[in-house]
Amino acid sequence: MLGGDLTGRPGRDTDIVARGSRLDENTYLELEFRREDYWKKTDSNTQIVATLAFQHPIFHYNGVFDGVVAMRNLYLESRDLLTKGLAFWAGSRMYRGDDIYLLDWWPLDNLNTLGAGAWYKFNEDRTVVALHGGLTRPQDGFFGQTVERPLPLNQVGAAQVDILSRQKFIGSLKLNHRIQLGEKAGAKGILYAETHQLPSGQRETDAGRFDRLSSDSGYVVGGQVGAWTGERDTFVNLFVRYARGLAAYPDFAAPGQLAIETADDGITEYTTSGAHEFRVALGANYEKGPIGVMFGAYFRSFRNANPDLDLNDVDEGIVIARPHYFIGEKGGIAVEASYQAQQRGVLTPSPEGTLGGEGPAGLHSAGLARFGIIPFLSPAGRGDYVRPQIRAMYVITLRDAGARALYPQDDVFGLRKVEHFFGIGAEWWFNNTWSYGG
Amino acid sequence: MKKQRTNRFLAPLTALALALPLPFATTGCMQMDEELAAGEVPLQPHVADWRDEIIYQVLVDRFADGDAGNNFRVDRTALGKWHGGDWRGLEEKLPYLEELGVTTLWISPAVKNVDTDAGFDGYHGYWTQAFLETNPHFGDLAALRRLVNAAHDRGMKIILDIVTNHMGQMFYYDINGNGQPDIQTFGGGKPGQDIVVNVTEYDPEFDPRGVQARTSLGESGPAKVVFQYDPASNHVPPDLPFFQTPDAYNRKGRTFNFDDLDQLVHGDFPGGLKDIDTRRCEVKTAMVDVFARWVELTDIDGFRIDTLKHVEHEFWRFFTQRVRQRLAAKGKTNFFMFGEAFDGNDALIGSFTKKSVPSHPNDEALGGDLARENAECPGEGPPLTGDTLDGVFYFSQHFQAFRDVFRQGGPTRNVETLWNARRDNYGTEPHADGTGLAPTQTLVNFIDNHDVARFLYTGAGAPELPEGRDRYLALKNALLFLMTEDGIPCLYYGTEQGFEGGNDPANREPMWDGNPMLNLPAYDTSGDLFSWTRRLTRLRRGYPALTRGDLTVRWSTEATGGEEDAGMLAFSRQVDTSYALVVFNTHTSNESTTAAGGVTMATGREQGSVLVDVLSDAQTPYEVGPGGTVAVTLPPMSGAILVPREQIVSGL
Repeated sequence: MLGGDLTGRPGRDTDIVARGSRLDENTYLELEFRREDYWKKTDSNTQIVATLAFQHPIFHYNGVFDGVVAMRNLYLESRDLLTKGLAFWAGSRMYRGDDIYLLDWWPLDNLNTLGAGAWYKFNEDRTVVALHGGLTRPQDGFFGQTVERPLPLNQVGAAQVDILSRQKFIGSLKLNHRIQLGEKAGAKGILYAETHQLPSGQRETDAGRFDRLSSDSGYVVGGQVGAWTGERDTFVNLFVRYARGLAAYPDFAAPGQLAIETADDGITEYTTSGAHEFRVALGANYEKGPIGVMFGAYFRSFRNANPDLDLNDVDEGIVIARPHYFIGEKGGIAVEASYQAQQRGVLTPSPEGTLGGEGPAGLHSAGLARFGIIPFLSPAGRGDYVRPQIRAMYVITLRDAGARALYPQDDVFGLRKVEHFFGIGAEWWFNNTWSYGG
Repeated sequence: MKKQRTNRFLAPLTALALALPLPFATTGCMQMDEELAAGEVPLQPHVADWRDEIIYQVLVDRFADGDAGNNFRVDRTALGKWHGGDWRGLEEKLPYLEELGVTTLWISPAVKNVDTDAGFDGYHGYWTQAFLETNPHFGDLAALRRLVNAAHDRGMKIILDIVTNHMGQMFYYDINGNGQPDIQTFGGGKPGQDIVVNVTEYDPEFDPRGVQARTSLGESGPAKVVFQYDPASNHVPPDLPFFQTPDAYNRKGRTFNFDDLDQLVHGDFPGGLKDIDTRRCEVKTAMVDVFARWVELTDIDGFRIDTLKHVEHEFWRFFTQRVRQRLAAKGKTNFFMFGEAFDGNDALIGSFTKKSVPSHPNDEALGGDLARENAECPGEGPPLTGDTLDGVFYFSQHFQAFRDVFRQGGPTRNVETLWNARRDNYGTEPHADGTGLAPTQTLVNFIDNHDVARFLYTGAGAPELPEGRDRYLALKNALLFLMTEDGIPCLYYGTEQGFEGGNDPANREPMWDGNPMLNLPAYDTSGDLFSWTRRLTRLRRGYPALTRGDLTVRWSTEATGGEEDAGMLAFSRQVDTSYALVVFNTHTSNESTTAAGGVTMATGREQGSVLVDVLSDAQTPYEVGPGGTVAVTLPPMSGAILVPREQIVSGL
């Protein structure tokens, strides 16, 4: 992706909601190394997957011979070993189901753990049960603390000691059932649940003084219904998800705005108790003849554990559509329109400050609308999801005052009501044929 | 929650949700009480008579942590750092305070502060950076409003601490002109050379000409003022445009001689706190606008005003009158404004409550003159008069009574002498649109506060206690004095838990740690000092004589040795028919009495009437003798509250 804002500055994500249009996302690349084997002795299959991911900036942009690299997958999966349809895997894995392409988002399940799992397909592969358990230990003082201590046995020097090192366990269960509707069409229903568990620990706040960190937990329940025509990529998916406690916070972030509780022995403890997030999302695509329309929408409501409303409490949502018109098989033109808005649990300050002017005008709300035009070339033929694709795009963003107020002083996004973006980009992917039930 | 708030953008989202048959579609609607989110709130007078109130001073950062989400930069290992207390925590502890019996909370300044400076944090609230923003460590406007509403719902009031004298460390003086803040050394220090002087450009010493630029080649005129810019520590220009200009400040450097009037009033407050030029009309009007705004947005009930003596008397005349008028026009009457002049000079303290102009030699020296003040800066409203503050902290009493008598066992005659000067030194007439009471009636009495060592402190820097003196008994007697004398009692948080910290910041302990020395858990309500204080607040509130009664000293003495009345002090208080006689023995070890040299204490009651000590477990009766006299004999460091038998209120 290359582009700019027509003033010479680079393009930048203008979304104010958690998941917005992917048009102006930065360059991102995954290199997947995969080996698949069939083992005649056991009549089973395995695949080994290693996915190396790179993100912006890359060498030809800044001249720095370096990269921002992550290993997004590194696992081994065995299929049909003990019985047909039963698979086991272990390793580091992006573990997720269906996405909403326009938002680059997996609304129901998107786990990243060091874990293991199993899935079983039966009923002519129409029913899948998937079970997974994994661990994470984010780099944050909420999860870990390392201190120096003198070496034992009268040695000189210091050793690093993990005073706090608590891993978060995430377990998930997914039930997926498909039904056939006619020759090509079908529908599916998914039930989904997660459990999040964090053990207690202690943190040293001063030499020899420790604060207790209580154990914590959370859960997710959700579901999805979907249908497809089997004609090209026409489908619709509806997602509903509710998370509570520890699970309401992002996986790799330290939970913030915590609830304060007093333990039986009078010690104050901070927990995620009461935090919750509710999501409802819709993703769809329709294609017929030279026309294709992608659609996405969601509403999300997040409340942190702190019982009062604050900046991090948010209701937000977006409605987005991208119609395509294909000119033959080699390309076409698309337009994208979206509206996104949010409300936060803080009072709207006047330009003179919280207490200036006429005083607060209620809770802070912000909104923006975006319109884009995207001519594209499609070497693999027509189709909303057909890749690779080389495209140009022009996007205009219209911010209201509330959206501008979300940015700090002197940030151009806080100053401009109208934002332009012109870019050229390329996009392609290759689907993994081994699915666990998404 | 009174009413669900909606806004324009939720409409399409709601429509989307409704279009989908979702069971939880309505769970995400954000709600906030209409009153908490409103532009302004209705103002009401919540106080009938300020003498009925018992003030409790809260350092918000140290009292209770109710919102972990605002624990920015918290470091509980050092008392000079943020600790995490906030308005929500205070709100949650209102039942504790109600149980204690206090009725009014004096809370830390609410404005946004310089967050941290020179290794210390602005946890106390006295380092203003933004007049129109709440301190994010304490909460947002909704949290403050919630606190005020919750207090009012319990019949409690809120007094907000404010500072007009200075800002936080907003700028440095670029004395050597190199564009960066330095610490410079001048002088060689050897014989024949200038003495060695270290000058910090953040906080150079006072120069009556204004801080001067200088290098090794000599002085070169006023030093340039450079406003700092470090958002991480909130060293950013103040939020009011005028305060972003050097003209808003006196720029004379740090006060080092508080007896020099120019330094006292125009010098920076030690610590690099930049002194505001409070003679300027722009400053006067801005301060009225800013702080009246806090009242209009929260319905708080009074101001505790910092550093009175460092500001010209004329400023206080303008500020108090224009604030009262503006608030009264919106329905807020009986708004109490009292201030802090940290000084033992009774006449100076009292001058900030007197109507006369000039009210003190300092006022006269600084040109206090109503005609000039009205001509130069009339403001909006009727012509300015001599009206000023409703009250002040009775600092002279803190030194001469609480420290010298109740802690150290000095002669009680000093208390009477101090009180006798009150009518001369303090305002004797109510101010227009004010509390309806003369300042002499609404002095704010206190044992200790956040600027002095706690009463129980016995370490270095505190006067040594007389041998054998039990500091806890002494404190209980001091509390009895506090809760029975006239004026308005003010209790420093933690006193009821036996906190014993020394000077700042040792006297700013976190409440949530409890008192390990006394083996008391946090917010304990069973300890001896808590119980004693609770009993005293109930007695004060139960007997009108103890709140509104006129005070007459019935016994005082110079005797502190083995005399029969050594350490005795007594006063009666009466309003209408309600009467109380309060008697103290402040002596360390003697059982003493209110009789000496053939003279017995007069009570003002008729012979034969019976007074009962309602403070004693035995409810000890005393029959008034010939001439209305009675001899009350008390053990060392104890007291009694005698009320007419027919006026006893049961259950207190």
